[in-house]
Amino acid sequence: MTTDPFDLTAPQGQPLTEAQEGLWRFQAMDPDNPILNAGQYLEILGPLDVAAFAEAVGGMIAETEALRLRFRETPQGPRQRLAPEFPALAVHDHRRAPDPESAALAMMRADSDKPLDLARDATAAFHLHLLGPERAFWYERVHHLCLDGYGMALVTDRAAERYAALKGGPAAGPDFGPLRLALEADAEYRASARREQDAAWGRAAMEGAPEALGMKPGRAVSGHGFHRATRLLPPEFLARLRDFSRSRNATWPDLVTALTGAYVQRFTGGPEAVLGVPFMARLGGSLARLPCMAMNVPPLRIIPDEGAVLGDWLKGVSKSLIALRRHGRYRAEALRRDLGRIGGGRRLHGPLINIQPFDSAPKMPGLETRLHILSAGAVEDFTFSFRGDAHEGAIFEADSNPALYSAEETEAHADRFLAFLEGALKAERLADLPTASPAEARRFLIDVNATEHPFPTDRTLIDLILDKLRENPKAEALRFEGLSLTNAELDARTGALAAKLKELGAGPDRVVAVALPRSMELIVALLAIQRAGAAYLPIDLEHPPARRKRVLDLAAPVLTLRRAEDAEAFAGFPALTPDQWPTTGEAPPSATGPENLAYVIFTSGSTGEPKGVMIEHRAIVNRLIWMREHYGFAPGERILQKTPAVFDVSVWEFFLAFLSGETLVVAPPGAHRDPSALARIIREERIDTLHFTPSMLSAFLAAPESAGLKVKRVFCSGEELTADQRERFHARISGELHNLYGPTEAAVDVTFWPATPEDHSSPVPIGFPVWNTRLYALDSRLRPLPAGLAGDLYLGGVQLARGYLGRPDLTAERFPPDPFRPGERIYATGDLARWRPDGAMEFLGRSDHQVKIRGQRIELGEIEAAILGTGLAREAAVIAREDQPGVKRLTAYVVPATGYDAEQLRTALAASLTPAMIPSHLLALPALPLNVNGKLDRAALPAPALEEGGPSRPASPEEARLAGLVAEVLELPHPPGPEADFFRLGGDSLLAMRLALRIREAFGKDPGVGAIFDSASLAEIAARILAAEGPAEGLEPLLLLAKGDPEAPPIFLAHPAGGLGWGYRALAKALAPARSVYALQAPSLTGAAPFASLDALAEDYAARVAEAVPQGPIHLAGWSVGGVIVQAMAARLAERGREVGLAALLDSYPAEVWRGRLEPSEAEALRAFVAIAGLDPTEAPPLANRAELLAYLREKGGGPMTLLPPEVLEGVVKVALGANALVRGHEHRRFPGRLTHIRAGLDHQNDPGLQADLWLAHCAALEKLEAPFLHPQLVSPAAVAVIAPLLAERLKAFDKERDPKSGNRFSDQSRDPQNKENA
Amino acid sequence: MALTLERMRADVAAKIHEEPDAVSDHENLMDLGLDSMRLMELTLLWRELGTAAGFAEFAEKSTLAEWWALVQARPKAA
Repeated sequence: MTTDPFDLTAPQGQPLTEAQEGLWRFQAMDPDNPILNAGQYLEILGPLDVAAFAEAVGGMIAETEALRLRFRETPQGPRQRLAPEFPALAVHDHRRAPDPESAALAMMRADSDKPLDLARDATAAFHLHLLGPERAFWYERVHHLCLDGYGMALVTDRAAERYAALKGGPAAGPDFGPLRLALEADAEYRASARREQDAAWGRAAMEGAPEALGMKPGRAVSGHGFHRATRLLPPEFLARLRDFSRSRNATWPDLVTALTGAYVQRFTGGPEAVLGVPFMARLGGSLARLPCMAMNVPPLRIIPDEGAVLGDWLKGVSKSLIALRRHGRYRAEALRRDLGRIGGGRRLHGPLINIQPFDSAPKMPGLETRLHILSAGAVEDFTFSFRGDAHEGAIFEADSNPALYSAEETEAHADRFLAFLEGALKAERLADLPTASPAEARRFLIDVNATEHPFPTDRTLIDLILDKLRENPKAEALRFEGLSLTNAELDARTGALAAKLKELGAGPDRVVAVALPRSMELIVALLAIQRAGAAYLPIDLEHPPARRKRVLDLAAPVLTLRRAEDAEAFAGFPALTPDQWPTTGEAPPSATGPENLAYVIFTSGSTGEPKGVMIEHRAIVNRLIWMREHYGFAPGERILQKTPAVFDVSVWEFFLAFLSGETLVVAPPGAHRDPSALARIIREERIDTLHFTPSMLSAFLAAPESAGLKVKRVFCSGEELTADQRERFHARISGELHNLYGPTEAAVDVTFWPATPEDHSSPVPIGFPVWNTRLYALDSRLRPLPAGLAGDLYLGGVQLARGYLGRPDLTAERFPPDPFRPGERIYATGDLARWRPDGAMEFLGRSDHQVKIRGQRIELGEIEAAILGTGLAREAAVIAREDQPGVKRLTAYVVPATGYDAEQLRTALAASLTPAMIPSHLLALPALPLNVNGKLDRAALPAPALEEGGPSRPASPEEARLAGLVAEVLELPHPPGPEADFFRLGGDSLLAMRLALRIREAFGKDPGVGAIFDSASLAEIAARILAAEGPAEGLEPLLLLAKGDPEAPPIFLAHPAGGLGWGYRALAKALAPARSVYALQAPSLTGAAPFASLDALAEDYAARVAEAVPQGPIHLAGWSVGGVIVQAMAARLAERGREVGLAALLDSYPAEVWRGRLEPSEAEALRAFVAIAGLDPTEAPPLANRAELLAYLREKGGGPMTLLPPEVLEGVVKVALGANALVRGHEHRRFPGRLTHIRAGLDHQNDPGLQADLWLAHCAALEKLEAPFLHPQLVSPAAVAVIAPLLAERLKAFDKERDPKSGNRFSDQSRDPQNKENA
Repeated sequence: MALTLERMRADVAAKIHEEPDAVSDHENLMDLGLDSMRLMELTLLWRELGTAAGFAEFAEKSTLAEWWALVQARPKAA
């Protein structure tokens, strides 16, 4: 008899179809994930005939074989078969419950959320919940392996059809076909030439496609749940969708798919979006009416053509959808493998667009029905779903992966996407369609910018200052190095100089240069120039002469105020030195008004050509009066002036005190770069308000003198204030901290954010617009963006500069018309920013810091924000280096925060960034380099060391071991480096399964195949192995006790008699984090055969540590029997040609001593356990048996020991007793190196024969130390406090001797490659 | 206007942005990219023009020849 290959009732079952295989793999990787339980309920209103309904459902179940499937893994692969039993409709009566609906929903949720045992549990369930006389919920739950969405609709409709027939309606049609049809169709397709053609088409269609991205970066792996936002689509809206598409010979699903692509692309950036398009893959054949799992999710590339007429573009997408359907049966999983888009976060597609026009509530006579979908399968990223048809209304559901999107973001996407569709129906082109919804556009263009506020529009800055000075002539205006001027004196001196300046040609919109160091004269000069009606131009004496000359040529000042000794630097320009300044005289009132220039400050353009920014009085008056009023500056306070005049932050420092009746304290030249000098001035001069660039603030906070300072307010601007700086500020200084932002082109600052101690924002926002100011975050077509989406930052309002001096071309380019306020201008900052939902702006870096890596546009600021977001770094800078021509690599420079761990940082970044955004180099620096203005100096960041071909950093023991396994599985000649990618090395899903198996064997832990699929590098897989809970948790032969510096060679602690290394926890903790500490534990505890001899044991252990540390010295230590093992291992390692570093024996004595002695009693063995469990055995009562031992351990909280399963405890006893025999039978080999022995100084009073010197026979050198404890106490925390420093000191000396750079522990690259080759 | 094989061929071709001669009698129409939405629209159109066959019946067949046979077997009741 031949076996029927499609007989699903056969006991051995049948293989899965290709359509089922992908789902099976997903479920097998995460068996507890219930998300493949597709659940829905039909709300039934009206007089339901329960008996007839039960009969209808029963009939449907009887004819639907897929509802009886079971699945199991076999050595030949997964198999499915039909279970003999049929699911039955369970009826739950909630009619008397206080809240019937909630009760029913809770039961449905609980059922849907329960993971299934697919081999045993029913894969389908049907419940009828009765809620009231005229209301019921019909709940259906079917595992996705049995039915896809279309199959679900078929069975639901079928039950309704049968009910209708029973109630006198038309007879129900023929039964569903048998499920074998699906297997036959699958086999036929698999064997067909058609499959190959489809595959080739699929590969060609994806040729050159960019990395598929979601609307937010991060790992797109479905969790156990999802967020959902549901919207009802009114029939009128659908009718318009339908009419629009029909008039362009497309369908509304085509239109919606195309627009979803356009919408998604707005968030992913780049030229195109790659969507997943669920495709029913069964029309036109036997499967068309067969409930089964056949659906496929092929990728569709959608390239929005913003400028094209929408209908024309739609036609193109419609055609590509038709082509996709022709070839859409080729499985997406297979295509993904063909394209190598597996592992490392590489994806086949981004969000899904799932349109199911047929999935609407079925009709039943006399009843009203509504369909509610609870879960329709995995949500990897974001799924846009439409159910129902365009005639009767449909439902839109936005489902998102909670690991990537918040519930609020999901709701916002739902509203915005529908607004986008609405907008498209009216728009001529995509270009006319903003990403922000009309409501969002209103909010972020108008509402947040409603900053209109009165300010003195008819006065110049100097007018307002003079008014204020004359209010209180005797008050102190100015202090500088012990000198002081009153308001009246300042008024007189500036008046006298102004008269002279006027005489020499100063006047409205004329420029007078100032090149004076910080001094009384500088302040007098700045005020006098304004009193003369002119604008001041600061010149920095430290700037290169060529630049200085260029600025002077461009600005053509009528005069330069400079020191006499600087004559040479200003040769050819008329000057007035302080000794020539008159002391008497009075300037006549000037004709200067608010529309004239107050100052001109030069900034560097990207070309290096200096640009003179012209600021008018009205702009700076708005800025300064806003600041005075907003922060409540008041007479009697003091402001510190320390910022160089060429940096526009100085502007408020110079003048705000005079506008507020305060005193200005001028810091001596140079003090702005000296934290201790600053701290002294702040204290001695009782400063209330001062400014820092964030970099300088960071340096200041690190200086001892800044501790405990008290000020009123500190302002930060000029660069990005980090969350870490905010927190350090508040931990150290008492006072307010304010973050301000603004370019020179908009009068100093245009936004503000109170960085209070209660503020936990990261990044710290630049905040809200100041008075009479507008902020726009716009895309490249100047369209408004919603919250959360990065765009170009534009500024508008009264503070904008007049333009660039002598550069109308540049002015026109950078100050275009405001697209939202006719007749006004905006300034293009060149900065990237995004709105927060609360209306605060976040700064994301310069847009010219945008780079292209692997074809993907990357914002370096976003990576920096992600690094800081981990909390592992205090400061971060990311640059794209091209140290090798043509090879652009991202390098991240970080200033480590407490608890910094490079590996942890990498792992965290891999979880939040797209693969291309993950820096290939991570360099830790003690501080980031600063330039003269106190800002980050990108050019001064060091180049990372580049290796030729080899790994960029040494592997940790786990990584080395994993690399060995990978080499084995992939048959590679050499183990790959930790950064290598399993799939790029040639791995596929089958090999991944094999690797997972080897990992389980070798590590005794099972991180799951999923870990291999999701990890970008071996390092990441190794991290996941370490993090995995293994069945042998804590019993593995190589147990990581404490994680430490991966750069330093680890130390291995050999287990004492019981075979467990847990007793070493205290010691391990004390030796880390200088290095990682591992325990060597008896492999027999995890099932291996016990060793026949101590030599065999030592050989096995030596092999393990040699594999774990492939190069460099191996450090060993062991207590008691562990010390005997250490000596034996050291001898073996030396024989292998490996170098042994420290070999420490904690009160161990060689084998020959024990041979002549009695075997220990069971009581002694039991007592030894107390020590093994990490407790002090001298405090323990006498223990007669195992039960007493356990009771004692439990009473003392003996740690995990008490949790050991009895059979493991049995094993520990066995190892302990066996160890004695092993030691007695051992013949030592000589170790040709040095042993370090630590004797238990308080012990062995009655046993003077136990002496360290006994080891001299078995080693080349012996170091003898002593610790004042008993033998059993040697690993207790008290003894560790003595012993650990002894060991650490020796280990460290060892490291130093080998590694001259060992002081530079932060740098991943600092390790001299030669160090690794000494083995 | 009565439903004819040529009329059906022209309707199908228009739905998939093709010329009528690109749609042969025995070609699998789903392979040509016809989807459920378009089939639904065709069904509605053809029911108006004189057949009683519905979506599910068309969906189980895949060529124009089969559809034409279906239409002839299931004329709309007068």
